Amino acid sequence: MRSKKPDAKRLALLGILTAVALIIFIVELQIPNPFPIPGVKLGLANIVTVYAVYRYRPSEVAVMTGVRILLGSVFSGNIMALLYSACGSLLCLLGMLLLRRVIDEKHLWLASVFGAVLHNTGQMAAALLVTQTPSLLFYYPFLLVSGCLAGLFTGLCTQLILPRIKAIDQT
Amino acid sequence: MKIKVLIIVAALIFVCGVAGSIWALNAPRKNRVEIKSGGRVLYTLDLSREGNRTFTVSADKGVNVIEIRDGRIRVQSADCADQTCVRMGWLDSAAMPIVCLPHGLVIAYTDADSEVDALAQ
Repeated sequence: MRSKKPDAKRLALLGILTAVALIIFIVELQIPNPFPIPGVKLGLANIVTVYAVYRYRPSEVAVMTGVRILLGSVFSGNIMALLYSACGSLLCLLGMLLLRRVIDEKHLWLASVFGAVLHNTGQMAAALLVTQTPSLLFYYPFLLVSGCLAGLFTGLCTQLILPRIKAIDQT
Repeated sequence: MKIKVLIIVAALIFVCGVAGSIWALNAPRKNRVEIKSGGRVLYTLDLSREGNRTFTVSADKGVNVIEIRDGRIRVQSADCADQTCVRMGWLDSAAMPIVCLPHGLVIAYTDADSEVDALAQ
């Protein structure tokens, strides 16, 4: 599954993936969110993250996601969002990297669902810490539902994309 | 086999989320409202006694303009990037506080002291 490639090429591919994720992230920012609930989002950029989780080494995925979050918050001008998405992504990545050992590629959408739910859980934890308001927990059910749906969507997208980018791995 | 278990877990999370959402949406409104920023209570208001007015809350990171009208409260405008708090509209449910995450501002119903006293008597 993981082919040995020269480091320079691997690095270049990671750079391209980061750029793609960033572009998707910024395009998604322009789409108005129909649900005015903090934290509810489709998270299309995570298609790239899920793909990377299944194709690259854990350390590489972590660096890629970290760079994407950092640059994303700089470009969107929302520095506070950095904290929330960093907490969410940390938990999400840990969970997905562990789940990758259990869940094979055919059930990748499932790993994505868990990843999304974990992401929302991390965000919720960060929001609780920042605002010190336990009643925020009432939002958690909404986040669970949206996490399941958004995770399912991004997971299925990744599953559709995977066979189509096999060509990259073979070159 | 493991995957089946995980699918069931995911389905359970989803069902819990739906049930919780329905419950949260049905939580009743109250009269007493707290405006908090970064864990500090800035204002406690009794909406049934407040007249129509707008006022500005300066949180640590920015400014929110809050409007009270006909016993309801909302964020009229804010200088944050995502504007989620503005689009959340009026505070409707005790379970759904208005949150402005970029500013760490929360507007939520609280258990009114006066009501607790009234019940205790």
